[in-house]
Amino acid sequence: MKPAPFGYLAPRSVDETLELMASHGDDAKVIAGGQSLGPLLNLRLATPAMVIDLNRILELAGISAHDGDGLTIGAMTRQHDAETSPAVAAACPLLAEALPYVAHRTIRNRGTIGGSLAHSDPAAELPAVVTAVRAEMVIRSRSGERTIPAEEFFLGYFTAALEPDELLVAVRVPAVPARTTSAWQEFATRSGDYAIVGVAAVIGLDGAGVVDRASIVCSGIADVPRQLSTAQSALVGQEPTSAVIAAAVAAQHTDPPADLVGSSSYRRHLVGVLAQRALEAATERQEGNDDRPTG
Amino acid sequence: MAAVTGTSVRPTAPPGLIGTRVNRVEDARLLAGRGRYVADVTLPRIKHAAFVRAWPSHARILSIDTTRARTLPGVVAALTAADLPPATLVDGNWIPGLAKTPQPVLARDKVRFVGEAVAIVVATSRYVAEDAAELVEVDYEQLPAVDHAGRRPSGHVPILDELPDDLIYDRGESFGNPDLMFRDAPHVFVKDLALARSMAAPLECRGTVASYDPAAGSLDVWCSTQSPHLLRRRLSAASGVAEHRVRVMMHDVGGGFGQKIAAHPEELAIALASCALGIPVKWIEDRRENLMAAPHARGQRVHLKLATDDDGRFLALRARIVGDAGAYSFNAASALIEPYITARVMTGVYRIDHYGYHVAAGLTNKSPVAPYRGVGFIAAQTARELLIDEAARSLGIDRFELRRRNMIRPDDFPYRSCTGLVFDSGSYLEALTTVERMSAYDDFRCEQEQARASGRFIGLGISPYVEPTGWGTEAMNQIGWHSFPSNDSARVSMDISGKVTISIGTPSQGQGIETTLAQISAEVLGIPLDDVVVSFTDSSSAPTSLAGTRASRAAVVSGGAVGLASQDLRERILKVAGALMETDASILTVADGVITDPSEDAASMTVAEVVQKAFQLTEIRSAEPEPNFTATRFYDPGATYGNACVGAVVEVDPQTGGVRVLRIVGAEDCGTVINQVVVEGQFIGGMAQGLGGALLERLAYDENGEILTTTFMDYLLPTSTEVPHFEVEHLESPSPYTWRGIKGVGESGTIGAPAAIAAAIADALAHTGSTVDRLPMLPEDVRAMVEQGEDRG
Repeated sequence: MKPAPFGYLAPRSVDETLELMASHGDDAKVIAGGQSLGPLLNLRLATPAMVIDLNRILELAGISAHDGDGLTIGAMTRQHDAETSPAVAAACPLLAEALPYVAHRTIRNRGTIGGSLAHSDPAAELPAVVTAVRAEMVIRSRSGERTIPAEEFFLGYFTAALEPDELLVAVRVPAVPARTTSAWQEFATRSGDYAIVGVAAVIGLDGAGVVDRASIVCSGIADVPRQLSTAQSALVGQEPTSAVIAAAVAAQHTDPPADLVGSSSYRRHLVGVLAQRALEAATERQEGNDDRPTG
Repeated sequence: MAAVTGTSVRPTAPPGLIGTRVNRVEDARLLAGRGRYVADVTLPRIKHAAFVRAWPSHARILSIDTTRARTLPGVVAALTAADLPPATLVDGNWIPGLAKTPQPVLARDKVRFVGEAVAIVVATSRYVAEDAAELVEVDYEQLPAVDHAGRRPSGHVPILDELPDDLIYDRGESFGNPDLMFRDAPHVFVKDLALARSMAAPLECRGTVASYDPAAGSLDVWCSTQSPHLLRRRLSAASGVAEHRVRVMMHDVGGGFGQKIAAHPEELAIALASCALGIPVKWIEDRRENLMAAPHARGQRVHLKLATDDDGRFLALRARIVGDAGAYSFNAASALIEPYITARVMTGVYRIDHYGYHVAAGLTNKSPVAPYRGVGFIAAQTARELLIDEAARSLGIDRFELRRRNMIRPDDFPYRSCTGLVFDSGSYLEALTTVERMSAYDDFRCEQEQARASGRFIGLGISPYVEPTGWGTEAMNQIGWHSFPSNDSARVSMDISGKVTISIGTPSQGQGIETTLAQISAEVLGIPLDDVVVSFTDSSSAPTSLAGTRASRAAVVSGGAVGLASQDLRERILKVAGALMETDASILTVADGVITDPSEDAASMTVAEVVQKAFQLTEIRSAEPEPNFTATRFYDPGATYGNACVGAVVEVDPQTGGVRVLRIVGAEDCGTVINQVVVEGQFIGGMAQGLGGALLERLAYDENGEILTTTFMDYLLPTSTEVPHFEVEHLESPSPYTWRGIKGVGESGTIGAPAAIAAAIADALAHTGSTVDRLPMLPEDVRAMVEQGEDRG
């Protein structure tokens, strides 16, 4: 469990990083908190010729709230800092709710928001969360900056829509619309493990208490965070009673892969259980929620 | 809250250190990061090794090419079996019908499991060694894998040519007349239980530093082992270095749990590499190697039948057990150890006179099976206790009551089980009653009903048991297991300053042996605990113990030897003191390092003064011709059996299959308690390990025999979030057959907890009519119980 030989660079700015990424291309891997790449290097499952360390780039860390218009989270923001940030709690309660499920405290002290997203593990919490809240990913290269919706960012197992010369610099989370609530539910064999299935649910109601917007995204059942679009559509236009939620969830077809921790049918069953729980929890949070976005 | 039953053999000495809650003396070092492990050993010119390990599970080796590896800068050597003297390991059991399966130190013509060592690369660092290991090219001809004991794949090729059916053992034995009893029995209950492969997973993986000195012809070895003298024998046989020139040294060991009993092929290979190269070689195993290639455990299928009368009296029991041996029957303790011990202890704490078993053990293309804490007992305990619960449900008899009706009673001791185990003393009924009280059983039943009404499913499981401990010759004879001779001694030496050093061949892996043995010696000698140290074991100076630390034996065996040697030493000191104080030695008392003559106005001398004078005054030799203050005593105890009862409360989420262990209570009886802190550490740690076996741990292989669980992300150990609060009460039934009535407790919790947790799941889901049929019960397995219940409507 010792890594293969690799070179190491520790740039001090984003611009310097982008130069290095452009010159090393596919041979380089950037390292953020190192909580995934570290083990992959040690297991020799990743053998980059060069590792570019982002930990000295202060400009990549930090959370800025946009005065009621959402927030921007720098890629190198530690997961624990986001978890305990009042700005995140106010502007993206779903993220605040899901973060404690990411591994363990010691790992979140080191692990970063951007690192987890760029790693694109479909079993992880954060890709499902940013997809559910329709966040945008801010990506830079030497040739400039581009922004893409989260749902276009995750392309497959451990594959993000990033060119070798591109760096994920931030994630932009939109403001929570009025009468919108959310919930995170997951089931793992042990606490802190990757969930067998996780579900992010966001529900928006119109003035009459009818669903006008639903977002249900699962971790652990596909190569990317998987939206339950049939269930989403089935909810819209309905009052979210338990029975309505159950019918919507039951209408959803999923075809999860089987692996060591669970068969396909067990995962499919968990999707139903957890989606129901997440949607009911989000709906309960609507009560007494006068237009204020709260968790 | 200790209650004493059975014969008290408490010494006449005043209440002393034995039985006192003393903080562990090793903790200051271990908790401050000052433990010294084999990885901390370094020597001039030392080089680092990595093994090239087989990726196919079953294959012929066509060729091995080390050319590229050898030319990598920093590489000292790349060695294969052809470069080393031929050495094999073979298990030392002599059980009739057991086939021997010698294991080469490095694979020669064939590989038989994923992870088997094929070559060693020695380099300037472990990094370079791993780089070079990737450059060794091995050409394999793959063969079909035998992935399941007793099941032949198509195109089957025997794992060992000499064993065409892969079977290493296939025999049974009958006691009483089970056929007759089953024929006439009013009720027969049947149970199948499968235990997955799992393993000890010590925090410190294996590791060895070997240093051969060609000039002296000596081999020094530092190793993370439980049995330094056994390892010395194996190293001598493999290397040809005479045994007195082989020195095995121990420092701290970060857990063993049985995995480090045997001499491992890697340890011998490293020593042979050092001999071949003439330089010190170090191998520190990583977790992937340990999960893949260190010995595994469990891997059993048990089929049980219980006959009862209408009142639930147990009339007869029958067992059929199949063990998965892995690719080799492991040296020092055959893979038979799991199923065979399961068969021999199956009747447990119950009066069952008619019993028959059949045991089959077969080779598979998996890592060999070695002892792991609770070896064999766990399968017996879990299968039997689940079956008793199922019988209780079916007969409509309360689970506590059914057990009570069938348990061995206090006036039965010594009780001879039908398989020949002679239970010396115990508190079986009392332990059961204690758990009934601790778990507030009557209240629990109400709570369970109320919870069920509100959609919550909680369950209680109980698991009373008896276990052989303190294994000496007699214990082995009773169980019919002859893997090691019990021949252990301890040396207790007092230096001129009056301080004591204890030397033993049963080293600690962290369980508190340093504290308990020091307590024993300090009490017997009447000196402060601080005045006694237990030294690290060095085979060149420690008294021989071929068995080493295993089988819940160190406290009983080494404790007895230390006690006897300390007694000898005490008598010699008092004899000299009597001469110096001009009084009859037999009236002297000694406490806290001071010897007092009660007849002479309490005239006194310190132990240190006595010893110093004995060294200095030659005239003392007329009273004591050999005033050396060293005593060595041999001790081989009678067979002794500890007992306990564990109760577990779980909550099951029927929708996800998730299980939360809410509470575990235990009443344990290890005879005379030396130190409650150490006993609780062993018992609670054992229960936590048992929880892992019940709910989390399994080594998984695919159909090609490839192992899938090679990191702690896949092989799940219990962590602080899964382990509940434990409550423990001590009962004390001293053994009449051991020094001061001490029994072992090293394995106890591990044996009892899995059955309690499994039974609690079954109880929580009793309304489904489903039963627990495997360990571990992963969430999907628990969910399947619910679904089966739904299918039955």
